[in-house]
Amino acid sequence: MKSVLLPEPRGSLLTAWQEINWPLVILLTLIAGAGTATLYSVAGGSWSPWAFQHVMRFTVSLLALFVVGFVPLRYWLALAYPAYAVALGLLVLVPIIGEISMGAQRWIMVGPVQVQPSELMKVAMILALARYYHGLEFKRVSNPIFLAPPLAMIGLPVALIFKQPDLGTALMLGASGVVVILLAGLSWRVTIVGMIAAFAGAVGAIKMGLLKAYQIDRLTAFMDPEADPLGSGYHLLQSKIALGSGGLSGKGFMQGTQSQLQFLPEKHTDFIFTIFGEEFGFIGTILLLSLYFAVFVTAINIAMRAKSHFGRLLASGLSISFLLYVLINTGMVMGLAPVVGVPLPLVSYGGTVMLTVMVGFGLVMSTWINRDQDTLRTASTIRSL
Amino acid sequence: MRLEPFDTQRHMVFSRRATLFGGGATLLFLGLASRLYQLQIHDHVNYKALAEDNRFNQKIITPVRGEIFDRFGKPLATSRQNFRVLMVPEDAGDVELVLNEVADLLHLTDKDLKRIRKEAARQRSFTPVEIADNLTWEQFARLNFLTPQLPGLHSEVGATRSYPLAEAGAFVVGYVGAPNDRDLAKADDQEKLLLRQPGFRIGRAGIERTFEKKLRGEAGSVTVQINAHGRVIEEYPNLANEPVQGQPIGLTIDAELQAKASAILADVNDDGARLNVDKHELSASAVVMDVHNGDILVYASVPAFDPNEFNVGIKQSRWQELNESPLKPLLNKPISGAYPPGSTFKLITAIAAQEAGIEPSHRVTCRGSLWYGGVEFNCWKKEGHGTLDMRGAIKHSCDVYFWDLAQRIDIDKLAEVANRFGLGLPHDIGLGGQVAGTVPSRAWKKSYYRSNPAQQTWFPGETLSVAIGQGALTATPLQLAVMVTRLATGREVHPRLVRYQDGRGALDPVFQPLAMDLSELDVVRAGMDAVVNEWGTAARSRLDKPEWRMAGKTGTSQVRSLQYDPVTGRRLKNYELPWKDRDHALFVSFAPYDAPRYACAVVVEHGSSGSGMAGPKAREIMRAVLTKDPALKSAWSPPLKPVKTVSRARTDRPAGIEGGRP
Repeated sequence: MKSVLLPEPRGSLLTAWQEINWPLVILLTLIAGAGTATLYSVAGGSWSPWAFQHVMRFTVSLLALFVVGFVPLRYWLALAYPAYAVALGLLVLVPIIGEISMGAQRWIMVGPVQVQPSELMKVAMILALARYYHGLEFKRVSNPIFLAPPLAMIGLPVALIFKQPDLGTALMLGASGVVVILLAGLSWRVTIVGMIAAFAGAVGAIKMGLLKAYQIDRLTAFMDPEADPLGSGYHLLQSKIALGSGGLSGKGFMQGTQSQLQFLPEKHTDFIFTIFGEEFGFIGTILLLSLYFAVFVTAINIAMRAKSHFGRLLASGLSISFLLYVLINTGMVMGLAPVVGVPLPLVSYGGTVMLTVMVGFGLVMSTWINRDQDTLRTASTIRSL
Repeated sequence: MRLEPFDTQRHMVFSRRATLFGGGATLLFLGLASRLYQLQIHDHVNYKALAEDNRFNQKIITPVRGEIFDRFGKPLATSRQNFRVLMVPEDAGDVELVLNEVADLLHLTDKDLKRIRKEAARQRSFTPVEIADNLTWEQFARLNFLTPQLPGLHSEVGATRSYPLAEAGAFVVGYVGAPNDRDLAKADDQEKLLLRQPGFRIGRAGIERTFEKKLRGEAGSVTVQINAHGRVIEEYPNLANEPVQGQPIGLTIDAELQAKASAILADVNDDGARLNVDKHELSASAVVMDVHNGDILVYASVPAFDPNEFNVGIKQSRWQELNESPLKPLLNKPISGAYPPGSTFKLITAIAAQEAGIEPSHRVTCRGSLWYGGVEFNCWKKEGHGTLDMRGAIKHSCDVYFWDLAQRIDIDKLAEVANRFGLGLPHDIGLGGQVAGTVPSRAWKKSYYRSNPAQQTWFPGETLSVAIGQGALTATPLQLAVMVTRLATGREVHPRLVRYQDGRGALDPVFQPLAMDLSELDVVRAGMDAVVNEWGTAARSRLDKPEWRMAGKTGTSQVRSLQYDPVTGRRLKNYELPWKDRDHALFVSFAPYDAPRYACAVVVEHGSSGSGMAGPKAREIMRAVLTKDPALKSAWSPPLKPVKTVSRARTDRPAGIEGGRP
C-alpha cells in the first residue's frame, strides 16, 4: 500500500521507449512481411501495385502504433467516448456521401484519403465499451438497465454497417462487442437468454428478407461447395484446390499456378491466405498461423497483467477482435467458415484495416507501458473525489 | 487515494474469462491447423490433380480437308487460301470505331455489322470475332496496311474449299457448309470442339457429304495453359498432336470430258432452234459409263449451281432464284430425276418378248394405229410403218409393233427384265438423294393403291403403255446408262464413281454375265445400230469415224396427253406447246458397236424430240469421249506426300467449352 497512494509518475517519452514490448512489434512486422511477399507474388513478381504500398502503409501504421502507444492510457480513457462519437458520426455519413463500390457503400473520402468508417469503429467501439465498464461497479454489470447502454453502443454501428451492406464486418463487430461484455463479467444466465434472443432476431431478419440473396448464398455455400462448383461455392472450391495443391512445402515463391492463373477472386485481399498457402505449403501456413497465435498470446498476456480494468478490457477486446479476423478469414478460405469478405489482418492489402489494426495494437502497447496504473486517474482528480 | 475494492472481484472474473477465451482460441487454432493438414497433406494428391485440370486444356488444330481428284489426278475439290480478318474486342477497345474504319473497305452490310456486334457482345472479350472472310488479295493487302493503326484487328490466312470445275462438278463433288445445330447435336464432345472452330466446314452434298469421315481428317491439338477465364496463357507446341489431313478421294470422273459434256448439254444447237428451244429452257443431264468396269466418266447435269458460292455462304436471293427456277438447277438429275423412258424402253420389251417365246423374226404390219379394248392407239407415225420385224421395229421405233408384243407378254415378265437391266432399283455410287424410279408390275400396283383395293387390278391395256416406256414407268438417266451398258456387254455391270480411297485404287471388278440367253441381245444391238447407222430414227446422230460406230435408241416421252388445237382439232406440235408441256427427249447409246467401250444416256427435259435434241447431244458427247478414249489411258493414283498442317491462328481462343467462370 505504498506506491498506489502516490500520484503516478507522468511517463516521459524515454521511459515509454524503454517499456516498449518489442516481441509484439517484431511479430507484427514479421506478419506484415509475409503479407508483402505474398502481395509481391500476386502481382506477378512486382512491387506495384500492392507490395510497395503495403510496406509504406505498414511503416506509417507502425509509426502510428508508437504514437498511440506513447500516449498515456488515461488520455485514451478520456478520449474513448469522443472517439466513438466521431466514428459513429462517420458511419452515419457513409450512406450520405459515401462511395459506392462492389454494390455497397463503405467508403468516404476525407480529403484525399479513402476511409472506411466501419474499420475505425472496430477500435472505437472497444474503446468505448472498455471505458464504460471501467467506471461500472461489478454488481451492476448483469443488471439489464446497465446492459442497455453497451448493447446500444454495439447495436447502432452494427445496424449501420449491416445497411451498407457489409454483413461480414457487421457480424464481426457485433461479436467483438459481445466478447468485451463477457470479459467485463456479464453473468452466463443473462448471456444465454441474450443469445437465444439474438438467434430469434436473426431468424426473423432472414424471414423478413433483410438479408440479400447473395448473402444467404455465401452463408450456405460453405456447407457444400462441390455441390455447385460454378455457383457461389466456386471460389471456395478454387481456394481449397489452391491450398491443397500446395502440399507440404508449397509450390515455391511466385510459383502458385492457381493464383497466378486467376482462378481466385480477391486474391490480394480476402483470399490472400490461399495464395500464401499455395506457394509456401503446410509449413508456411502453420508458421503464419503460429505468428498470429503468438501475437494473440502476447496481447492477452498484456491484458492479464494490466492493473486497470480499462486496460484489461481494451487489450483483451482488441486482441480477441484481431484473433476473430484471423480465424474467420483463414477458416473461410479453408471452407470452415462462410465467405463473408473479411480481410486477413496485416497480410491483406488495405490501408484502413492496416491502420486500425496497428492503432489497436498501439492501444495494447499503451496498456503495456501503463500496466501498473490502476485507476488511471491523476492525483488531482482523485483528490477532488 | 483509495483502493477500489470492487475491482478485485471483476479482475477475478476477467482473468477467468480471458483464460477461457485464450483456451478457446488455442483450440480454434488447432482446428485450423488440422484442417490445413487435411487439405495440404492428407488430400494433397487430389487437389493437385484438380489443379492440373484447372490449368491445362486442349486447343484444337483444324485438319486440312482431303482433296477430291478426277481419274487423271485433276483436282475437283481442293483447299485454297482464304484471307480473312478477325477482331478481338478487348484489344480493339472501341469496337464501333474499328468497324467504321473497315466497313467500306470490306463492304460490310448492316446485317454483317449486326452479326459482328451480336457476337462481340455474346462472347468473352478476348475471343476473336470474324469480321469478314474470302477477301480479295487487294482487300487483304489494304487491310494489312491498316491493321497497325487499328488495335485488335488481325488478318489471317486460313484454308477454304475450292471447286475448280464449278458448275460442271456440282452434283458429283457436292459442297461444304458450316455445321449447324443439328450437326452439333449429333457430335460427341471432342467432335463439337472441332465443329466449333471458326471457318470449319463439313460436307453438305455429293461426295463431300458421303465421304465426310474420310475427307475430314483428324483434328490435332496443342496443350495450352489457361487461366480461370479461359484465356490462353501459354502454348506447349511440343505437347501437340499434329492434325492429320483428310485422305484423298479419287473419282472415276474425267474432269475434262465432264466440262465438255456440260457445255454440250447447255448448248442450244441448230436442232434446238428448229424445235423452238430457248437456251433459258435447257434442262438436261448425261451419264457416260465405261461398259467394262462401270466407271462413270461423265456425270453432267445442267443447269447447275456453283458449289463455290455455297461454300462461302450463299446469298438468300441467289438461293431463292436457284430454288424456284423451273429448270431445277438444284436437282441432281442423273440420279434424282425420274423420267418416263419412252421408246428407249422398247429395247427391254424386245428382250421380254423373246423370253415370252416370240422370235425376232415375228412380223407385224403397222397401219398407223391399233385398236385395243375399244380404244384406238396411235403410232407416232400416222401413215404407219408397214410390215416390220423386231430389228426394224427398233430401228423405226414402231409403237404398233411393241403394242402387239405387249399383248403377248405378261407385265410381271416385263418388270423382271427391266429390273435385270438395272431399272427400278437404286445404284449405290456414293451419292445421296437417289430415286429408284418405277417399274410397274402387279405387285407394284397392289402396293401403290394399297388404300384403294378397287384400283389394284392390273389391266392388260396398261401393259401397252409400259411396253413403249410410258404409263407409270420411270427411270433415271443413270439407270438408263446402266441399262444400255448391260445391253452392250451382256454382263451385270454396276456403276461406280469412286476408284481411289483409303490410300489405294480399286481394282477393275469382274462382272457376271446376265442370267439369260445372251443371244437375245443380238437383235436389240442390231436394232440400235440400225437406228443410227441405217437411216433409222437417229440417223443424224451418226458418228463420222467408222471405227466409232455408235448404236443408240431415241426416246420421246409424253409428259401429258396429246394436245389438240381447240379450233381446228389438229394435234399440236411440241414446239407449239409451252415448255413444261413438251415431251422429254432421251437418247441411249453405246460405242463402238463392234467392241463397246462406252455407254451414254442423255435426257433433255421437255426437249420435244429424242432424235432432235437428245441424239445430237449424245453424239457430241460420245465424239468427245471417243476422241480422248479415257478407258485406254491408265488412271492416276495420288503420290504419297507428307501430311500438311494448317497454319495456326495466332489468337487466343477459349480452349474448352467448360472454360472458367466469367
